[in-house]
Amino acid sequence: MRIDLAVQKFRSIEEMNKAPDPNAGDADAAANFERFLRHCARWWAIAPKHYPRGVFKFRTLEEAQKARDTYLPLK
Amino acid sequence: MRVLREFESAGLEYVLIGAAAMGFHGLVRATQDLDLFVRPTPQNIEKLRAALRVAYQGDPSIDEISTADLLGDYPAVRYVPPAGDLYFDIMTRLGEVASFETIDAEVKEVDGTEVRVATPAALYRLKKGTVRAQDHIDAAVLRERFSLTDED
Repeated sequence: MRIDLAVQKFRSIEEMNKAPDPNAGDADAAANFERFLRHCARWWAIAPKHYPRGVFKFRTLEEAQKARDTYLPLK
Repeated sequence: MRVLREFESAGLEYVLIGAAAMGFHGLVRATQDLDLFVRPTPQNIEKLRAALRVAYQGDPSIDEISTADLLGDYPAVRYVPPAGDLYFDIMTRLGEVASFETIDAEVKEVDGTEVRVATPAALYRLKKGTVRAQDHIDAAVLRERFSLTDED
């Protein structure tokens, strides 16, 4: 489903929160993925991080996630 | 996208999971990594290295992605390419919960490239049982958007 209304009106925050995301669930996977890439590119531009380059190995996903938490914002 | 094209060219057997997979299903959020399960065979891991070498112009650190590790004690390997804007979490299994063989997937096409993506239900199953807060949010979004239940 795609909602093409440029403006939607709500009587309350609750009503607004229940409204479907106008961009969610687009049937076209290519368009969805393109939107995902654009969104990530914007995010990386706004909040770049320093990642150590190379290959790192982990015994568990938890170990991998813990390492991710140590990556620092790029100054 | 270039990497996904190289995965296809190399004949890599993989399933995309995580935020990128959610993006294919229309649930867009930013991420810093591309998560994928690969079929755990020596031949397939070699295809992975071959695809990454083409995509990242022979970055020597790719040789450190070891078959012995991925098939042995280190089922999760992170590769951060020289460009550094996106990295790869490459997995062969996730504890007893999931592996390449157990994840339901579907093929999506982007710019003529076929991409194997975990289904919404498979993503929901992966995310609902973890301890990471972002996974709980993702699971809730998937559940609502695709009307999933605890049985999914």
